[in-house]
Amino acid sequence: MTDIRQKVDQLAMDAMLAQGEESVAALVAALAEIAVEAEKAGMTAVPALIEEMRATLAAQPNDADVFLNGIVRLQQAIEEGAQAPAPAAAQPAPREPAPAAPKLSALQLAADPELLGDFLVESRDHLANIESQLLTLEQDPANTDAIHTIFRGFHTIKGLAGFLEFPAIQAVSHEVETLLDKARNGEMAITPAVVDVVLEGADYVKTDIHRIELAAAGQPVSDPADNRALLGRIAACMAGAVPPAQPPQQPKEEAHGTEVPMPGPLAPEPEAKLEPKKASTLERVIKVDTNKLDFLVDMIGELVIAQSMVRHDGNLNSISNPKLQRNLSQLARITGEVQKTAMALRMVPIGQLFQRSVRLVRDLARKAGKKAELELFGEETELDRTIVADLADPLMHMIRNSVDHGLELPDVREKNGKNPVGRVTLKAYHQASHIVIEVSDNGRGLDRQKILAKARERGLIQEGAQLTDKEICNLIFEPGFSTADKVSDISGRGVGMDVVRKQIMKMRGRIDIESEPGKGATFYLKLPLTLAIIDGLVVGVGEERYIVPIYVLKEMFRPKADAVFTIEGRREMILVRGTLLPVTRLYRTFGVEPRTTDISQSVVVVAESGERHFCVMVDEVIGKQEVVIKSLGETFKHIQGVAGGAILGDGRVGLILDMDGLFGGSSNG
Amino acid sequence: MATMTAHPETATAAAGRTDARAGKYLTFHLDSEEFGIRVLQVREIMGLQDITAVPQTPSHVKGVINLRGKVIPVLCLRTKFNLQPAPYTARTCIIVVQVRGEAGPLHVGIIVDAVSEVLNVTTAEIEDTPDFGGGLPTPYLLGMAKIKDKVKILLDIDEVVTPQEMSGLQSLAA
Repeated sequence: MTDIRQKVDQLAMDAMLAQGEESVAALVAALAEIAVEAEKAGMTAVPALIEEMRATLAAQPNDADVFLNGIVRLQQAIEEGAQAPAPAAAQPAPREPAPAAPKLSALQLAADPELLGDFLVESRDHLANIESQLLTLEQDPANTDAIHTIFRGFHTIKGLAGFLEFPAIQAVSHEVETLLDKARNGEMAITPAVVDVVLEGADYVKTDIHRIELAAAGQPVSDPADNRALLGRIAACMAGAVPPAQPPQQPKEEAHGTEVPMPGPLAPEPEAKLEPKKASTLERVIKVDTNKLDFLVDMIGELVIAQSMVRHDGNLNSISNPKLQRNLSQLARITGEVQKTAMALRMVPIGQLFQRSVRLVRDLARKAGKKAELELFGEETELDRTIVADLADPLMHMIRNSVDHGLELPDVREKNGKNPVGRVTLKAYHQASHIVIEVSDNGRGLDRQKILAKARERGLIQEGAQLTDKEICNLIFEPGFSTADKVSDISGRGVGMDVVRKQIMKMRGRIDIESEPGKGATFYLKLPLTLAIIDGLVVGVGEERYIVPIYVLKEMFRPKADAVFTIEGRREMILVRGTLLPVTRLYRTFGVEPRTTDISQSVVVVAESGERHFCVMVDEVIGKQEVVIKSLGETFKHIQGVAGGAILGDGRVGLILDMDGLFGGSSNG
Repeated sequence: MATMTAHPETATAAAGRTDARAGKYLTFHLDSEEFGIRVLQVREIMGLQDITAVPQTPSHVKGVINLRGKVIPVLCLRTKFNLQPAPYTARTCIIVVQVRGEAGPLHVGIIVDAVSEVLNVTTAEIEDTPDFGGGLPTPYLLGMAKIKDKVKILLDIDEVVTPQEMSGLQSLAA
């Protein structure tokens, strides 16, 4: 009974805050929920009233005043109902499984798949937002904007869940909302415990949304997880609410200054201020099917080729008409712009990836009993969305490493004269055609002695080997290396930095470390802006043309006959500045008719495969070109030595060489 | 007697399939023979263009071409059907067909001597592929169409052009 009363009160509040159609629609959905509960509790007057309200609202949609009037009557009705003896209200729990309670766990998904899809997408967006705002709130408990945003997020989720009849989500978000409302009204302070319980609520909703999604995909799922314990915790949190102490009650963590921008304390009308801003960013973003985008990029690639063919057409060029020439240049310029824009379409800011790490650092630090804060720079730096996806795992792993291995425990830090709160910094910026991501911590730094000892123990280095400082640091990238004394559930589970490096290299990137003992370590990730385009050297063998990716290219030259040595009459080596490098004759490996089989008449390209260098013999070097990488499709995915195809300037396809495959293949045969 | 007992079975099987086999076919020449493939699977017909050879592929796989920004494989049907190789002529062309791939539809170009016409093949005109003996399976033959005293071989292009088949030899070699 009191529960229903609270809900109606809550609804009244929401109605007063309601802006626009959506909110009222959500309120109406919430009404339906109350009606069901009231019926359960035996308050017959309430459902009737609600029915009446809904009818009125249907006639005058989205009128907040009509709604409010109805609510006032509802409140009265409940008040009256409370006078009458209502034993049901005393023990609502045992009545739960009463037949009146609709079996909601049997997901009513079929109703409107589109609506459901919207619900899933929207809820996820809200949850992501809630999470980031919560972490802001943790740093800055007085941030009313954050409270409002979180409140609205849960509120919308609750409304939608009510409408689609997902009672588990609805119940949890409702309770969280009530809790937040208290905080919003200054009845209780935001303590870490509150943040925790709200995060827990968000996690619950997230899990349940995932479950619903699975169910919608036709997979068998269990009933929603039991949320009674969670609801209890939220209620306890509310019951033990501490009213905020003297206004600027700064929690310890906050005292050490964070980079979180602090809006003015208690902005007078945060809702009015925030709402339009949010709406405008939403309007400016549309979601596009990636297939459409890829097709557009393909077609623009063709456009560029067609344009270049027209531009270099002999007949056209012989026409000395200045107007034609001007128009042709104009066409070239526009095509270039269009191409650039199309490429930019695939770019997304790295911010979303960084945001995920905020939660990670918080949870990790908490688990390890450490204090940590995260600083983010360059969140707006853009890179290809495929890279963002592939980068997530290695980046999270590195952050884990920084918190787990890098940062010391607070008392150790204090003893060493450091701020007990450790700091992890993520930085992203562009450098030439690369993006650099720095992950740094101000922890203990790499322990060279420990690394060396471990490397010897694992047999990674010879006893007494002389290594430079950099080489020692790089040992942590060796397979099977982990310096953590104890294996925690966070890091040191076998997957180490070697996996990170492998993944980064797969993206054609590289990783470097800089570390000063006692002061911390910085990892530098250098990645190409996109995986779709590479700089390539176009080489010719007979009639065929191949592309050598510039990033594996070391040098090229025409070898002198006396620098070539044969081994057993078969294997060939070339002496390049005192080092003998094996030679792969591309025409032999690929079975094409070359223009020359005389190595001194050919050009040799020195390429890098892993740590080793080797020579590839080709007929000629045609030039450098930026090419868009195209997959050769499933048909040719197993071809050794070929990484893909690229459309060359004349519209033909050139094969992009895969040096690892080429070298591996030729050394076998 | 054996044929008698076998007959009802093939008849019912044929009756079940003929409906599916009837329809519009694009016919083309290879050597002296005429073949037909379902029009619905034909994406486009293009003149011969420069083909980039791909190493480590069976001999009938000629390589890849650029189809409006997409790289697609091209194979020579003559080589595939063990016909004598012939020089390309002005009528030689590439038919781009859509076939089943492991991960969704796949576009593949096939080189043929010349494209003739689009024919509407009725159920009455279709006959089952005769048994040539020797137990050789011919999964890619849908049947024979007898039209105006000429026989056209109806191909199931999905069976002619399978990704496994195109990369098959390579995986054997590896």
